[in-house]
Amino acid sequence: MFSFILADLRRNWIGVSIVLLLVALSTALGVAVTLQERALRLGSARAAAAFDLVVGAAGSETQLVLSSVFLQAAPLPLLKPDVLARLRTDPRVETAIPVGFGDFVGNHPIIGTTREALEALGGIADGETFEHLGDAVVGAQVKWKIGSTFHPVHGSAGQAGEVHADVDYLVVGRMAANGTPWDRAILVPIQSVWNVHSHDEGHQSLGPEEQMPQAHHDADNAHGGHDHDHDHETHRHDEAGHTATPIDDTALLDGRNPGVPAVVVKPRSIADAYNLRQEYRRDATIAVFPGEVLTRLYGTLGDARHVLGIIAVAVQALVAAAILLVIALQVLQRRRQIGALRAFGASRPVVLAIVWLETFAVLAGGVIAGFAIGYGVTKALAHRLGAASGVAMPVEFHSADLWTLAAMFGATVLLTLLPALIAYRQSPAQALRP
Amino acid sequence: MRMLALSVEKLDVRFPGLPVAALDIASLALAAGDHIAVTGPSGSGKTTLMNVLTGMERPSGGRVAWGADELTAMTETQRDRWRAHNVGLVMQEFHLFPGLSALDNVLLPQKLARYSLPAGMKESARSLLARVGIERLDQPIETMSRGQMQRVAVARALVGRPGLIVADEPTASLDAEAGEAVADLLLELSGETGATLLVASHDSRLIDRLGRTLRLENGRLLS
Repeated sequence: MFSFILADLRRNWIGVSIVLLLVALSTALGVAVTLQERALRLGSARAAAAFDLVVGAAGSETQLVLSSVFLQAAPLPLLKPDVLARLRTDPRVETAIPVGFGDFVGNHPIIGTTREALEALGGIADGETFEHLGDAVVGAQVKWKIGSTFHPVHGSAGQAGEVHADVDYLVVGRMAANGTPWDRAILVPIQSVWNVHSHDEGHQSLGPEEQMPQAHHDADNAHGGHDHDHDHETHRHDEAGHTATPIDDTALLDGRNPGVPAVVVKPRSIADAYNLRQEYRRDATIAVFPGEVLTRLYGTLGDARHVLGIIAVAVQALVAAAILLVIALQVLQRRRQIGALRAFGASRPVVLAIVWLETFAVLAGGVIAGFAIGYGVTKALAHRLGAASGVAMPVEFHSADLWTLAAMFGATVLLTLLPALIAYRQSPAQALRP
Repeated sequence: MRMLALSVEKLDVRFPGLPVAALDIASLALAAGDHIAVTGPSGSGKTTLMNVLTGMERPSGGRVAWGADELTAMTETQRDRWRAHNVGLVMQEFHLFPGLSALDNVLLPQKLARYSLPAGMKESARSLLARVGIERLDQPIETMSRGQMQRVAVARALVGRPGLIVADEPTASLDAEAGEAVADLLLELSGETGATLLVASHDSRLIDRLGRTLRLENGRLLS
């Protein structure tokens, strides 16, 4: 029986492959929608895991989370300096990390923060933490070597902005990968960002000069390691006096700073977290758990997934209908062959089993291939999206997917019974009649 | 092998929408091991008679029995099983299955009718194929000549050692030489096994070699 089925499939391999491909692609569409939405959701949730509570100046909560967790550049209002000072001395707070943005170099956002951020985000993998105002630590995905230098550019990533030509950063360390957009960021001391911007006051907006970002990290490769470092030290002293100055953390507390757009707070306990959220949700500040904003976004995402899911199911239904028609036609066309099987003594159950197994094998093969293709496509897509956004997107099957697979197999069993029953009902004499 | 004698009484076959009976046979008896030709013009009911006698079609009325097996009292499933065990079929259009080898084609009905091949079945298939002059047992059926195909079909009909061999125009689609070879094989092999041979044919050379001729006209036997 199996050799007969195999011979039959081999003989019709073109039609079989087309049906297989159609089933596989329509299944892959549905699988990809589910997996991609899940990857986005899990990826963003994991990216936000290190951020317990974010405090910012009154404005959009969503924008605050997108900017501080996902580093989506947007002009955010600044918090008054005393908010940071108050948070840093609050006994309910374990760490309160300032996050300042607005500059970039190449496609990498430059984030002004403190050394605590490096620890909170997984620590240094290579090199050391920043000690001087001119030191920078790059994210795991930034391809620069330790020891290279760059000028920050004011504005947002990917656009031409004003080059802070008088400011020079030296890369001293690289962070461990943590699967968040911070992997693509360059971290510098917040004090240095404040300095840069107090110098530049008066022409804060994007200048008309349209200068290209001047990252000259490649040039460093030409120099020998130690000599270069030495040369550079002198160079830094000459051009901008502040770059080799040790970081002074008192500025964080004494209020003599322009303020920051966001403060990431790690409370000591859950109760503290809720108290702090309550306390900083009034007057000129907002405090949010990134989770609550993400939940809201997932709601929207879920709706989109729902719509895409309906489209995918509709496509699958259309494909199923078309394939069923093809199979039914084929069974009618094979009328004589099936009649001959009966005439030679194959019982009706055997004929039913042959036709059913044959069509089921093709469709089930298509469904399985579809899961594999859907997984592969999502993996590739998640990789590209992840590389672009820095959010690591986990593509994974859950046990619920087994039920989906089972349901699709169930549907396939029922669908393929139809042609099998057509074959079952044909009498051999009828079928053989020319 | 079981010896099968036929007894038919008051056979009546009607098709929906046709006022005249397609077959109307008051009585017919054949002895086990007889070689019988069934002749008659197209549309005279030859194929219908073959279908009824092999249990592929249920008559509207009457009784058909092979030995003690009363086909007209059986369900469709029972008739399928009876046919699988007692009838070897050779048809004008061969109905061999492309994609399978000569040997697999010979064995296919046995495989489909039983859960596993009886011991020695493969051996007898091999010797039968050798007997009908097929040398390459693994040759795909679609690469064979028509004469070779019909000889494979003869081997397939005989491998289960059926008590009844039914051939519907076995030589009609073959040239004279190949037709004669097939006719020889049918007669020899059914003679050797003692099977009842029933051949519907227009081929006078084949008809002349069979012991008895039943002539059908408009669904009735002329004798």
